[in-house]
Amino acid sequence: MNAGINQERLMKVLLGPIISEKTSLIADQSAQYTFKVEPTATKREIGQAVELLFEVKVDSVQVLNVKGKAKRFGARLGKRPGWRKAYVRLAPGNDIDFGGGA
Amino acid sequence: MQVSVETGDGLTRRLKVELPAEEIEQEIDKRLQNYARSARLPGFRPGKVPMRMLRQRYGDSVRREVFGERVEASFPQAIAESELRPVGRPEIEPDLDQAAGHYGYVAEFEIMPELTLQSLDGGSVIRPQAEVTEADVEETLEHMRQQRKRWEPVERVAASGDRLTLDFEGQIDGEPFEGGRGEDVQLEIGAGRFIPGFEEQLIGASVGDEPVVEVTFPDDYQQAALAGKPARFKVVVKRVEEPILPALDAELIAEFGIEDGDLERFRADVRANLERELAQRTKAKVKNQVMDALLEANPLPVPAALLAEEIESLRQQMMQNLGGAGSEIKLPDELFAENARRRVALGLIIAEVIKQQELSPDPERVRATVEEMAASYDDPQAVIDHYYADRQRLAAIESIVLEDLVVEHLLEQLQVTDEPTSFSELTAQQQ
Repeated sequence: MNAGINQERLMKVLLGPIISEKTSLIADQSAQYTFKVEPTATKREIGQAVELLFEVKVDSVQVLNVKGKAKRFGARLGKRPGWRKAYVRLAPGNDIDFGGGA
Repeated sequence: MQVSVETGDGLTRRLKVELPAEEIEQEIDKRLQNYARSARLPGFRPGKVPMRMLRQRYGDSVRREVFGERVEASFPQAIAESELRPVGRPEIEPDLDQAAGHYGYVAEFEIMPELTLQSLDGGSVIRPQAEVTEADVEETLEHMRQQRKRWEPVERVAASGDRLTLDFEGQIDGEPFEGGRGEDVQLEIGAGRFIPGFEEQLIGASVGDEPVVEVTFPDDYQQAALAGKPARFKVVVKRVEEPILPALDAELIAEFGIEDGDLERFRADVRANLERELAQRTKAKVKNQVMDALLEANPLPVPAALLAEEIESLRQQMMQNLGGAGSEIKLPDELFAENARRRVALGLIIAEVIKQQELSPDPERVRATVEEMAASYDDPQAVIDHYYADRQRLAAIESIVLEDLVVEHLLEQLQVTDEPTSFSELTAQQQ
């Protein structure tokens, strides 16, 4: 993926890794790593951000928007904010070590 | 486990120990697996955390733990293998190389000095020979009377031995000086507690007199500013008292614990006490000499760890004797170093003697020692019971007996010369 998007933006795109049973399973199975990302981020930005921050080669990115849960507080209806999740597949031979920093 | 020994300065030894890496790795894995069954991390059901993640998170601390345990377990073994006798705590320096799977450590410690007892043949000891004489008893009685002396006011001029109560004000070159004033000060003429000349000049004064005393501070006076200076003291004599020595009668004797006031019994008592003291002093003197000879015949390097320990305990003792007054001041080590060195060296030597001669305190002697110690108390049986009630207290006595046995044993090797002396000389020497 070619550069062109400014680095300052890339530094803000990734919000954090998601570490769970499911994500560690797919990391082992298909070299896909999971991140919570900026809701406005594009696949291209996310790919470049991962390449920049973890110094790996990204193969492809899949994204989805997670809807916030509706929560009821007495008679009031509330809603938690939604967020954007990205699955980043790395090129063969690359991996990311989150260092247990969940 | 591989062990190699390096000899450092003096008594220090460096022990290099290699631990089996494979065993340690296995142990680490085993512990992690154990922990995995119950590990809780956010995002995972309990027990479902992958090994890889656990190793990442807890690997190092588990590794340290296992390593520490292995060091502790292997150190005594290593010591046994290398046949060293360490003193104090070893200093352990880990020597780890994870990449190469290398586990080892270097322990540095001091060893007990090698000791081959030298015979004391040819050495000699002077044993003082003294007896308690009637004069010694008399002197002691006199001393006891002195302790109970009372003061009676008299209407006459002061003589030597009298006690005056006075106010004074001192001046140097016409100027009052620090510490030069006193009110209702008691002064005993002839006791020598004041500046030389001061007391003597008051002989002949009577109540109400206001003599002027001129003295010169001695050159070695403790206040350097005053040393060597001449001073004038204006004195007001308020009271003159003479000492009244109590008669050696039943009343006085009763005060010293003989209720029926029998003089003969009292004398016998005092005599017995003096004799006990004499015996103790004689013994202590001989013992000291034996110890000196022992130390001289067996020069011995003292492990620094033991020395430091001994210094610390001497310091504690000193602090206690000072009654906490000096607790803020840390007494310097040098103050105790020599004494501590002697004590540690003697301790080691004596232990060796005991081992070699297979000495042990026999119960009868222990009993006799306790009884002897108890004899000078009012209720000997209570004291004896006190010692026998507590294993630790008895152990202290046993060690005294053991020491006596050592001294006796060593005395056989030494030439003993009796030296006649007198009781008062012997007691005066050691005070």
